[in-house]
Formats: sequence, C-alpha cells, structure tokens
Amino acid sequence: MTQPAVSSAKRQLTHEIISGGSGLLLALFMWGHVILVGSILTGERGFDWVATMLEDYYIAQPAILAIFALFVIHAVYAARKVPAQLEERRRLQSLAKGLRNSGREHVPTRTKHSPFRPHLESMLWIWQVRTGFIILVLGSFHLVLIGIDIFTPLYGDITGLESISSTARVAAGLWIPYAVLLLCVEFHASVGLYRLAIKWGADLWLSRAAMHRIEQVIFWVVLAVGALTLVVLAGWVDPPLAFLLDGGGA
Amino acid sequence: MARRDGVITLSTEPRKLTFEIFRYNPEDPQSAPHTDTFELDETPFMTLYIALNQIRETFDPGLQFDFACRSAICGSCGMMVNGRPALACRTLTGDLPENIQLYPLPAFKLVGDLSVDTGTWFREMSERTEAWIHERQPFDEGATEERMSDELADAIYENDRCIECGCCVASCGVANLDDAFLAGAGLNRVARFMLDPRDTRSDADWFDIVAGEQGVFGCLGMMACADVCPKELPLLDVYAYLRRKTLGARFVSEDDKKT
Repeated sequence: MTQPAVSSAKRQLTHEIISGGSGLLLALFMWGHVILVGSILTGERGFDWVATMLEDYYIAQPAILAIFALFVIHAVYAARKVPAQLEERRRLQSLAKGLRNSGREHVPTRTKHSPFRPHLESMLWIWQVRTGFIILVLGSFHLVLIGIDIFTPLYGDITGLESISSTARVAAGLWIPYAVLLLCVEFHASVGLYRLAIKWGADLWLSRAAMHRIEQVIFWVVLAVGALTLVVLAGWVDPPLAFLLDGGGA
Repeated sequence: MARRDGVITLSTEPRKLTFEIFRYNPEDPQSAPHTDTFELDETPFMTLYIALNQIRETFDPGLQFDFACRSAICGSCGMMVNGRPALACRTLTGDLPENIQLYPLPAFKLVGDLSVDTGTWFREMSERTEAWIHERQPFDEGATEERMSDELADAIYENDRCIECGCCVASCGVANLDDAFLAGAGLNRVARFMLDPRDTRSDADWFDIVAGEQGVFGCLGMMACADVCPKELPLLDVYAYLRRKTLGARFVSEDDKKT
C-alpha cells in the first residue's frame, strides 16, 4: 500500500497559506501602487521621474512579472473555495441575504465577540467573489497594457511608461474600466485584509469592532486617493501637489 | 407593547403579529412544503416559545416544533427567525417586526415543520473528533487529582458552554453545502479538548482533524457562526486559535507532546 506523500490536512494548510499570503502581498502592493501612480498628483514631471527610475533600474520589469504571477496564484487558490455549482451559490446567497435582512429590526445584544447585528460579513464574502471575478478580467487587461508599456522599450524605439500616453488614454475612455477596477480592488483588498486578520488573529491584538473600523478607514482613504489620482490622470483636475516640484516658488 | 433598543413602551393597543410558518411532513407522502399563516395578539414579554404554543393550542395541534427547557439551555428550539437562526425561547416578539417568518434550521435533517434532527449531526461530529478525554495512563483511583489553574478552567468552561442548538451550523455557508464540515460547534469542541491538560492528544495528533478539509480551513470566514450564537461563544477566537495551532503542529513541534 502506498502512503500519500503529503496528507490532505497538510495540503489544506499549504493552500490556506498560499491564498492568504498572496492576498496579503497583493493588498500591500496595492498601497505601494497608490503611492507610485499618485506621483501624478505632483504633475507629469513627478510621474515621469518615478516611471523612468523604475524602468532604468530594472525594477518595473521583474516587478510586473511577479505581480502577474501572484495575481494568477491568488485567483487560483482563493477561488478554490467558491462553490462550483450555481445551485450552491444561490444557497449561500439566500442564506447571506436572510442574515443581512433579518437583523434590521431587532438588535438583541452587542457583545465583544459579536458586535455586528445585522450580520453583514456573509454578504461581504459574496461581494468579494463578485469583485474578484471583475478584478480577474479588468486586472488582467490592466496588467497586460502596462506590461506592454514596460517591455516594448526593451525591443523597440519607444519610451516606456510615460505621463503623456497614460493621461491621453485615460482621458480617452480608459477611466471607465479603471474606475470600476479601483472600486473593486479597494473593496476586495480591505475586506480581504479584515477577514484575514479575523481568521488568524481574532483573539489577539484588536477587537473585531476595531478591525472593522480600520478596514473601513483603509477602504475610504485609499479609494479617495485613488479616485483623485484617476481624475488627475484624466486631466479633469490639475495636479494638486504640483507646487512640490516647483522649487517652492509659485 | 413594543420593545425597541431596550426601551419598553406600553400602549393600550396590542400589536397584531402575523406568523408565516413553514409546514412539511417528510413522513407523509401527501404533504408538500408550504407555509401557513397565523395571527396572534401580542402580549407583554411574549417569546416565540409562548407564541408557538398559543398557535398550537388555538389553531393547529399538529404543528411540530421542539422545546424542553424554555430557558436557553437545552438547545432544542433553534429555528430560522426572519432568516436568522435563533432560539425561539429566548427571542422576544417585541424585538421583531409584526411579520414573523419561521423556518426550520437548514443544514439538518427535517423531522417536520420547525423540528429538525440536530442529534445525528452532533453525534457524528462527536464520534469523528472523539470528543471525550483521551487518557493514556490507566486510571489510578488512589492518586490525587492534578491541579488546574483557574484561568485554564475558565477557558475550558467558556468553550463548554455550547448547548448544541445548531444555530452556528445553520448559519454557516460551508455547513449548508457540506454535511461533514465541523462548523462552529464542532471546532469549538475540538478546541475545548485541545485546551484540556487531562487530554493527552498532542497538537500533532489533532492536526488531521483540525487542518483537514472539514476542519478549520474549510471555513470561508463569513463569521455568521459567531454572530448568531445564542450563548455568544467566542467562535472567531476559537477559529484563530486553531489556525495558529496547526502552524505550530506543522512547522514547529510535530512531535511535541502535551505534558
């Protein structure tokens, strides 16, 4: 008789670490991403300087490959728990909706362990699946687009990522998928971090109520900065931090 | 009378409550799943336990539902109250809107109407997790009992407060799709025995049950179990504790036995 090399339980643990770990890394990357793209808030010079630095020192090229790999790994491992059958998903949905809607009328207790009535987290999980699928489509598109920007200069006679082409195409209509992507990513990431923190450390540092509050602050702050970046990229608003690069003079 | 957010207002006009109750007898081939509607005048401090008994006495003696203790300790009156698992005996109608929908707990075998068989599920779970103290030494009746710290005894008691009503199982998305998932009640039981120094099973012994497909990593993190638990057990703490225990058993101390 042959023993399986790795037990099912060990595999489950490995899958959980991969899905949670890749999600955590991607969420952390998204905060870095906000700062990098946010360079447009200082004007086109700032943006181009960041882009050139990342390309000239060959940071951008391996980074985008690593992010793409993480992106695919996270999609594969996080999706392993999404029910395959439509009937099963409907079952989850009706359960989650019932729990969400039932709590509006009665608020029996709010305790340390369960501060939230009505119960929303089941519905949030379903929305994470929905936003996850949207991110899979729009995020792949975005990664390929930026990948072309980053890699073609290695072979062709054009510059890489630059503000002129980026702002032009965002203004031309790319802002629509980007706005959807931004909303989905920030929701998916902030709820995901909250869930990850509860899963591994609900009984450690912070209460669930505190973690929930932090999640909401992260969501709104990053969404606001991201939205501002997007409208500046589209050219609808002048870069608000342009004075930083003006040498202090007006 | 209405009770909203802890404020009790008395009015002369009692509310008229409308109960929409799921009816189905799986034993009867003539029976088809449907709902029946009953109307009752609300009385002060009315619970669903009182209301259901009135319905049975006044309208339909055939209505099936389970009760034993009417004080939230026997765990037999769990049901879906407006979409949320709750104990009927501890739910005041004053906390609910005028229209009350009652359904049996999902994820369990239906006995009839609002009555479900939670016993089979819990027995199966207990057998699979061997939910009893595992003692390797032969019993010595002359030996003095070993001391346990108050903190540890309290921690074990906290998990032991589970009344096996099945509300956590019914609220759990995974348990609704997979009969074998241990869910809040099962994993809480596992944590109780892992904490207990009298049980000689090590973290490594527990690993296959806790980290297995039907264990803690089957959990989607929807957190409903903790929110619906009538005994307010710290189920999320239990899950986090078990998750970290698996890390220890897998990567740190696979042979480390409890002392």
